[in-house]
Amino acid sequence: MTMSTAMKHTLSILLQNEAGALVRVAGLFAARGHNIDALSVVATDDPAVSRLTLVVHGDDARLAQILSQTRRLVDVLTVEHTATDEAT
Amino acid sequence: MNAQLTEPKTKPAPAPAGATRHPLAGHALSGAEVVVQVFADEGVEVLFGYSGGAILPVYDAVFRHNATHAGADGREPMPLIVPANEQGAGFMAAGYARASGKVGVAVVTSGPGATNMVTPVRDSMADSIPMVVVCGQVPTGAIGSDAFQEAPISNIMSACAKHVFLVTEPERLEATLRTAFTLARSGRPGPVVVDIPKDVQNAALAFAGEGELPLPGYRARLAAVERGALTDEDCAAFFAALKQARRPLIYAGGGVIAAGAAEALRDFVDAFGLPVTTTLMGLGAFDTTDPLALHMLGMHGTAYANYAVEDCDFLLALGARFDDRVAGLPEAFAPLARFIAQVDIDPAEVGKVKPVQWHHVGPLKRALERLAAYGRAHGVALELGDWHAHVAALKRDHAMNYDRDSALIQPYAVLEEIDRLTGGRAVISTGVGQHQMWAAQYLNFRAPRQWLTSGSMGTMGFGLPAAIGAQFARPDALVIDVDGDASIRMNIGELETVTTYGLPLKVLVLNNVGDGMVRQWQKLFFKGRFMASDKSLHRKDFIKAAEADGFAWARRLERKEDLAATVADFLAFEGPAFLEVMIDPDAGVYPMVGPGASYAQMITGEHIASRSAPVPTDAGPAAMF
Repeated sequence: MTMSTAMKHTLSILLQNEAGALVRVAGLFAARGHNIDALSVVATDDPAVSRLTLVVHGDDARLAQILSQTRRLVDVLTVEHTATDEAT
Repeated sequence: MNAQLTEPKTKPAPAPAGATRHPLAGHALSGAEVVVQVFADEGVEVLFGYSGGAILPVYDAVFRHNATHAGADGREPMPLIVPANEQGAGFMAAGYARASGKVGVAVVTSGPGATNMVTPVRDSMADSIPMVVVCGQVPTGAIGSDAFQEAPISNIMSACAKHVFLVTEPERLEATLRTAFTLARSGRPGPVVVDIPKDVQNAALAFAGEGELPLPGYRARLAAVERGALTDEDCAAFFAALKQARRPLIYAGGGVIAAGAAEALRDFVDAFGLPVTTTLMGLGAFDTTDPLALHMLGMHGTAYANYAVEDCDFLLALGARFDDRVAGLPEAFAPLARFIAQVDIDPAEVGKVKPVQWHHVGPLKRALERLAAYGRAHGVALELGDWHAHVAALKRDHAMNYDRDSALIQPYAVLEEIDRLTGGRAVISTGVGQHQMWAAQYLNFRAPRQWLTSGSMGTMGFGLPAAIGAQFARPDALVIDVDGDASIRMNIGELETVTTYGLPLKVLVLNNVGDGMVRQWQKLFFKGRFMASDKSLHRKDFIKAAEADGFAWARRLERKEDLAATVADFLAFEGPAFLEVMIDPDAGVYPMVGPGASYAQMITGEHIASRSAPVPTDAGPAAMF
């Protein structure tokens, strides 16, 4: 637990391909004080859906809260926390 | 997963058996006509908005709809109420929504029209108020060209609203607009913005009469929350803890009102006898005149409510979010509570601020009904006689009070007189600051949706336009805007709106010649340096201003001995009335739990008995907000 503030978390977000959807996700993280360490957006088999892979760092409580807040975004289909790594 | 995602972009809602096709299905309508028709189908009975180039097609369609659907008495089915400024329209729609529980609708033009709407949209988001805001936008081809009256509303509103749609495909307009109403009302309510380019308003469309956007992610999460039901095990765990408790307390927030759960709360309290304190947003969720009601808790809560929070050993949070005006120091909030239970519609609020021992995410009304039924079926009977006696003693010994012998008019006395005359039945809106807190503390609220205040955002200027919207929601109710001299200045242009539409609402200005709450903080935390909060050099004559805007009854109360008669006259006047009261400029808001302080450090002031000497807070001014 003492190391948790230094942990890097990888989030995988499936997003409806709507106008402004990416801005809403990035804006949410910025508005709630998270720096995005890395971000990639790729198309999926379904042209209406994109996959966002996003790396943030923070402790468990902050991570849990930003996951919950991301799930409040209307365009977001699913949010998964796919990896936790030691920050370098 | 993908099967769910490959549905067509608009899917018709399943038609109930025997449902008739929309009479206009298949008809050729313009985009603007589609907007107005969806409004009509959604039961919209009033619009608030200001015109401008990019919204003219919709305004024209409203005109034509009202002309062709006027009632036998000539009454328009969807009057459009025009404010002095779009912010006024937004707060009117919000006031309408708060007073009625229905979706408030505002329609404004692009650019400045839409940016003036940002404050009401954020305010409604922060207080979970359902609104649909339609903004005109420059034509699709001009977006991004720095066109006249262009602003990136989708970007701006994204950060403030529950959701925003920029409609670039005309054929999706109808489903989008219908979906906006669903989004605004469902789950945790909120404002939804629909930005409609002018060419989309002018597009030739075939009206479908049904269909919404699929929104698979949102709808799946909503369905999961709405399905969420308390199991027998959940109920058993809840009552096992409650039966252990000797001093259980309910902490009810605005979610009780949004969920329409006030009756269920009443029934739960009748069954098990828990006293109830409410947040600012929760006032009216439980009749404040009830013996078990402790009125408001928090920074300016009643001393007896805050002491009850200090003393409770079990806390049930209902549609409340432990915000910083309630739990400024979360670890010290309800310090003796061994068990905190939380029910909320929003999973993100569970444990966000304060860890809880039991929680349920789902519709509050159903959860309370289920718990009450389970408790009754299992013969749960709590022995709360000692706790009830304790609560009654707290209410008696630490009652709200003030300097009743002062020669100056005390704002509390004005509010007590209003409360006496209205019996706690009036619809009250407020600005933000001392007058807002005094109104929250000294007025009674017998039922939900009587108390309209900007709780989370704390937007000065909210009171007057919100009262206007509320009067449209409840034409026969006595609606009173309790305002301050600084707050009312923010949207004082709306005084004229009151008389333009002949609304009988009452505007009360408690004038302490400045920003009273700011002065209170400057006294406490900045050694009395009243930077920018003193308005003694301001020259406005509020009475002349009200008269200039057509108020036939506009008076200034300056002598204490005239208080009762003047207030009675003010409230009894049949039309719009404006009363300015010159109050004691040093009147403060007490009790006060300082920012970042615990309830144990509450200052009760000179006239409310404290249980202990106040402990100074150690946070410096820089840390306080």
